[in-house]
Amino acid sequence: MRPVSVSAGAFPPDPGRRGRRSGRRPRPLALAAAAGLAVLLAGACGTGRPDSILDRETLVVGVKPDQPGLGMKVGEGRYEGFDVDVATEVARRIGAPRVEFVTVLSSNRQRFIEEGKVDMVVATYSITPVNRSKVTFAGPYYVAHQDTLVRAEDKDVDNVRDLKDRRLCQAAGSNSWRRVKEERQIAVRLVPAATYSECLDKLRDKAVDAVSTDDLILAGFSAETGSAFRIVNAPFTDERLGIGMRKGDLDGCEAVNRALTAMYQDGTAGKLLRKWFGASGLELNFSVPQFEGCA
Amino acid sequence: MTSVPVNQIPAPPSPDRAASPAPGAAPARSPAPSPGAPAPPAPPRRTGPPSRLRSVPGRVLAITGACVLALVLLFGALSTSFQDVNDGLDVIGHDAGPQVVATADLYFALSDMDTQVANVLLIGDEHGLGKGRQRALELYERRRSDAGRAVLQASALAGADPAERRTVQAVLDRLGRYERLAARALLLDEQAGHPAGPPPERVLEVYRQATDLMRLELLPMAYNLTLESGTIVRRAHDEHTSALGTGQVLVAAAGLLALGGLVWLQAFLARRFRRVFNPALLVATAIAGMYALTGFTVLGGEAGLLQEAKREGFDSVLALARARAVGNSMHGDQSRYLLDPERADTYEQTYLDKSQSVLYAPSGNLGAYYTAVAEGVAAYPAKAEFLGLIGQEAARSGPSARQAAIADVLRRYREFQQSDAQLRRATSREAVQVLVGQLATRFEAYDAALVKLAGIHRTTFDRAVRDGEERVEELWFLLPMAMISTAVLIVAGVWPRLSEYR
Repeated sequence: MRPVSVSAGAFPPDPGRRGRRSGRRPRPLALAAAAGLAVLLAGACGTGRPDSILDRETLVVGVKPDQPGLGMKVGEGRYEGFDVDVATEVARRIGAPRVEFVTVLSSNRQRFIEEGKVDMVVATYSITPVNRSKVTFAGPYYVAHQDTLVRAEDKDVDNVRDLKDRRLCQAAGSNSWRRVKEERQIAVRLVPAATYSECLDKLRDKAVDAVSTDDLILAGFSAETGSAFRIVNAPFTDERLGIGMRKGDLDGCEAVNRALTAMYQDGTAGKLLRKWFGASGLELNFSVPQFEGCA
Repeated sequence: MTSVPVNQIPAPPSPDRAASPAPGAAPARSPAPSPGAPAPPAPPRRTGPPSRLRSVPGRVLAITGACVLALVLLFGALSTSFQDVNDGLDVIGHDAGPQVVATADLYFALSDMDTQVANVLLIGDEHGLGKGRQRALELYERRRSDAGRAVLQASALAGADPAERRTVQAVLDRLGRYERLAARALLLDEQAGHPAGPPPERVLEVYRQATDLMRLELLPMAYNLTLESGTIVRRAHDEHTSALGTGQVLVAAAGLLALGGLVWLQAFLARRFRRVFNPALLVATAIAGMYALTGFTVLGGEAGLLQEAKREGFDSVLALARARAVGNSMHGDQSRYLLDPERADTYEQTYLDKSQSVLYAPSGNLGAYYTAVAEGVAAYPAKAEFLGLIGQEAARSGPSARQAAIADVLRRYREFQQSDAQLRRATSREAVQVLVGQLATRFEAYDAALVKLAGIHRTTFDRAVRDGEERVEELWFLLPMAMISTAVLIVAGVWPRLSEYR
């Protein structure tokens, strides 16, 4: 009898179940049962679920700081653009109490997710098989297309294939140039640059002849700089822009997908697309994209 | 000696102590001085108000009551757990599971409609090319009616979920619009009369509208419905697995309480009434114990079956349904690549992207991809470091009947990709011939192998669900009997003892 009560006493830290057997004379059987219960419950509750973006008090969202129309830093901790609006809307719909935006770059966004510095990344993040093996992607929230930007006076480029022997800007951390040089095997001359804003400067200064990347990015830049540039309007890829989060956060990923579905169904997504890209002349798609599936 | 009388001086209180032992805590707990030696009940001293709990019949009743309470708890815990298992199996086996199949069928039918329209347009006037124009038209008609049926089924299974219902409704609306556009493109094409290859621009314009509607609006909706069913199953599985765990704990606790109570009752009766065994109670204890143990084990087994139904069955069925959907739209991209030179680059890139999501092999362009696939498939199953929908199925399958089926899928996939290489090398007319001839045959063989592999998982899934339901059903059936028989036996065991006090 005694050993039982001793072992029952060995499980007091079981949270939320305290005080149930205080103040009464120990009943051996009740104690034995309680001990068994405690052991089994401890086993059942021991496997804690990995934390999810759904549990955050403050959702930390990584966005780009230098892409007009998508993610642009406008002040301390303040950003604006389509990505920012999508993130805000998604956060509201998955019930995040507060949202905080921070800067991520193409070169560090995966590491930031893995290290937990950001909970969610909405930063023209392409869903690719390689990215998917490190990061869980909800969405895509939009399928962009790679297109080409040239100087307005350059009338000879109608198609990506016309870039043969021309100088193409190669922004660090971006894979867009591969779509031209490796996938299409078009003989372009690559000119490296740190960011797409630098690419735009180089294009204006005639240091490069073309910038090729997602049409949304190009639309943002060309809207900013007026009519000095021309989008060729010959899209040649599908780029699925996803919302990245910690690998394995399936609950969070599925909740974001439901939020995106609702945003397209009630017209919010269409409104945001028109707000940021309506004036660019891009052909926009207002129907919900085909999701990747959470994994 | 003198000291003795001195000591005895304060004696007077002693009789007091003998008369009223009540203030002490001991008497209630110690029936030791009880003169209950004679079997016929000699009611123990009744001092003060006769507390019912202190009388023997009172205590017998109290212990019996506690036993019955614990048994009620046990049977309650069992029946809620069984109910929970049934609900879980119902969602997984009869709701979301079939929904995955219905929506995947929908995707397949829709995607193939668009492919067949493209094929008819490509064949143009050369009606006998490859498998011929007539066959493509017949396939289009068949897929159209498949799609209609699948939408109806998906709509029935969508139940009350508002987002899903809206999606199904949107699919219906757009399907009608697609059919009108497709019919116009086919008519214009017939009027144009052109040799095999890309049709005139005005035909292409209409087809572009149709295929955009299909690929950008209809197919994503169908695909997302499939994924949503996957979400529902995953949640149901997690929820019911944890509920089963809790149920098992409750059953174990209530079972221990009930058994303890029954043993206590047995011991109490034996001591009080000088009988070694109370046979009726003994049998009741055995029944309750066996039922609790069986219930506990079955619940554990159900958790295993739910796991098996999901991991070995459902997850693979879902992955393969998605692979099949993506594969069909890849095949469509081949037709569209030939049909629309202006968008050929995009269709080639989406083809590569989709191929990579089916079976991932590190490669920057299609040429490298063909080689990587050929090497990877040749090394299987010795080396299975694949990613992608089929890749992961291959990687997680040990040697089994499944492995042979997977090897078959991989082999046919490689052949299909080899035909793709041929298609992209050929001149326009030859390419169409490859597309509606050899390539179509190889695609169908690959797709059939995929369906066969999915069938193996489907069988596992169905069996696990059925097993789970049968086991619960058996215990359900026994539950009332166990309850009634333990109740009757307890009464039979206790009643004669109590009546000795009348």
